[in-house]
Amino acid sequence: MKRLGAIAIWPLLAIGGALALGKIALFRGEIINATWFVIAAVCCFLVAYRLYSAFISAKLLALDDTRATPAERLDDGRDFVPTNKWVLFGHHFAAIAGPGPLVGPTLAAQFGYLPGTLWLIAGSAFAGCVQDFIILFCSIRRDGKTLGEMARDEVSKRGGFIAQIAVLAIMIILLGVVALVVVNALKSSPWATFTLAATIPIALVLGVYLRFLRPGRVMEASAIGVALVLFAVIAGQWVADSPAWAKVFTLSGVVLAFAIMAYGFLASALPVWLLLAPRDYLSAFIKAGAIFSLAAGIVIVRPDVHMPALTKFVDGTGPVFAGKIFPFCFITIACGAISGFHSLISSGTTPKMIQREGHARFIGYGAMLLESFVGVMAMVAACAMTPGVYFAINSPPAIVGAAGDAATATISSWGYPVDTATMTNLAHAVGEQTLFNRTGGAPSLAVGMAQIFSHTIGGERLLSIWYHFAIMFEALFILTVLDAGTRVGRFMVQELAGRLWKPLGRTGWMPGILLASAWIVGAWGYFLYQGVVDPLGGINSLWPLFGIANQLLAAVALVVATTILMKMGKLRWIWVTLIPTAWLVTITMTASWQKIFDPSPRMGFLAAARSMTELIAAGRVPAAKIAETQRLIFNQRLDAVVTAVLAGMFLVLLVEALIQWSAILTKRRAAVLHESPYVATQWAAGAEGD
Amino acid sequence: MAGASLIERVWETLARVWFGIREWCGDAAYERYLQAHTRNACGGTKLNREEFYLQQLQKRYSRVSRCC
Repeated sequence: MKRLGAIAIWPLLAIGGALALGKIALFRGEIINATWFVIAAVCCFLVAYRLYSAFISAKLLALDDTRATPAERLDDGRDFVPTNKWVLFGHHFAAIAGPGPLVGPTLAAQFGYLPGTLWLIAGSAFAGCVQDFIILFCSIRRDGKTLGEMARDEVSKRGGFIAQIAVLAIMIILLGVVALVVVNALKSSPWATFTLAATIPIALVLGVYLRFLRPGRVMEASAIGVALVLFAVIAGQWVADSPAWAKVFTLSGVVLAFAIMAYGFLASALPVWLLLAPRDYLSAFIKAGAIFSLAAGIVIVRPDVHMPALTKFVDGTGPVFAGKIFPFCFITIACGAISGFHSLISSGTTPKMIQREGHARFIGYGAMLLESFVGVMAMVAACAMTPGVYFAINSPPAIVGAAGDAATATISSWGYPVDTATMTNLAHAVGEQTLFNRTGGAPSLAVGMAQIFSHTIGGERLLSIWYHFAIMFEALFILTVLDAGTRVGRFMVQELAGRLWKPLGRTGWMPGILLASAWIVGAWGYFLYQGVVDPLGGINSLWPLFGIANQLLAAVALVVATTILMKMGKLRWIWVTLIPTAWLVTITMTASWQKIFDPSPRMGFLAAARSMTELIAAGRVPAAKIAETQRLIFNQRLDAVVTAVLAGMFLVLLVEALIQWSAILTKRRAAVLHESPYVATQWAAGAEGD
Repeated sequence: MAGASLIERVWETLARVWFGIREWCGDAAYERYLQAHTRNACGGTKLNREEFYLQQLQKRYSRVSRCC
């Protein structure tokens, strides 16, 4: 009877998921309740996990629990540490969950709730989770080798080098873009700026505590830190209410950009225990708390979704970013459905800690499903706002106008009514001077989250506290990626520079540290600066650039995975990775082509540069603005070159893989796998904390 | 009797959650290291808690540890 129930539950979940998806896809009334999104996501994800991941485990990978993992064979208590699967799931999820699944769906809500939600659900089940799971498996079978090492061993030597350069390039773009999201969230907001600034001395105090007073006692230090950060959120209101202090913390975009660059440099160059590690610990607890609170809040409040299923901007004329629904919905959602960056975590620490091969399914496939669920929550939070308010917050002044009345008139003329009084009252309620033109996704997500939280606890009275809590959470989240990324970028730069001159490669040599830190901060700082001075708000061009880069890295990972599966003789099931690879190649190449060559200046980098050049030649740019316009022209051309180089590098790798595949299929080359030899596990089934 | 077993079960669950949180946040890492050191009977010098903490941080932040 119990077994019958266990079998019956899956068809019921499948029917529930299909009904909920049908409701979301076919409903054309004014509003739909968010509960349908939660049901659709939960049912689809559970069914995908139960069926599709089990199919991949059994037919494609043949996971073998009798085979000792690297964590068992090489256990040293430091790098290779056998870890309970639930704990490792937590580690892996904390590592892969970044700001992307929050910001991407928020921006993609420009097309309406439907395209983004469908891609979040389908893309993660059939592409993102598959990539994470298979790369994790491949790395486990190779003693925890990285993606670059696997690309070199299994595809070609050049492939490994391309993967290494691609990771560095993507990291530079990523750091510039996420820093821009923080700048746009903090601009002219003394409360948010104070709160985030306060986290730096708090992290320093925690660093000293963890280093000298109670080494390694992370939990008690984090408890103190979280209490101090929450106090800083409340204290931010006093700062904002004090005219003298508010003036100190009201900063322009350019000043904030340089402050964040200085922070990135310090985080990279200072000892890791002083600033980077304690801030990471602080962020981990707040991140976990905020994500689960958002999910719980949506289930409790069950907000109505006011955004239509599809907006008129599917034609590519949207104000948040330029580009049609294909391919830019998929490029914009990015990490919520599939992220190339995850392949670096799946071939990093996790394979060295996994106890059994069988756990790879739960950790690799399952953690990505949870990340995608976070993306669906972000989509709900963004779409719970009325469309007029959403567009007023996310549209840059160059498109809707800076003044309140001009912006509301433009947005209302699109069919999404909003008035200045509504925006003024909302800004007042969340404790901001204005919510117009707050591009980047973070402020609108914070408004959505604050509305959900305040309906759960505190009502309107606490709206401003919740808003600034959400901003602090997003900014802390992003700065953790920024500082850790800058440091890793510094190591990559030093590794490459060490090939030219050996001392530069020594990670303990201070001139090398300072030089490499300055180089990496300068590189992402340039993208940040160009985003800040861009009249379209920067996110318009930089987020798609980041999306293209990220999805290209995912395509690299899937090409490596396909090559390995082919060598394993799994031709019958090769479509599992081949279809997502083909899809990613299609969307990234189309998006790259359009971003470089599209004739519309809003869309194509080269067209934008041409249009500005023509304006200067026609004498329509005031003399005082010519230098600035020339810088913008240079930026557009630089973005075009970066996009072309990334796409070109991927195409080289793809061609090398195609040659390899053809040789294997025609048996001109032996399919040599570079797996570690089989060693039987010494652990009994169910032992070691299973 | 049933009450006692319920309390035991609650206690056991709480202990598991506590174990999980300590493992997740890294509090238990040094204890793990000591166990592995004893188990593997490595002749190398045993690091003290502070040295181990610093070494772990150096390793963690020298590779990609956070995603976008």
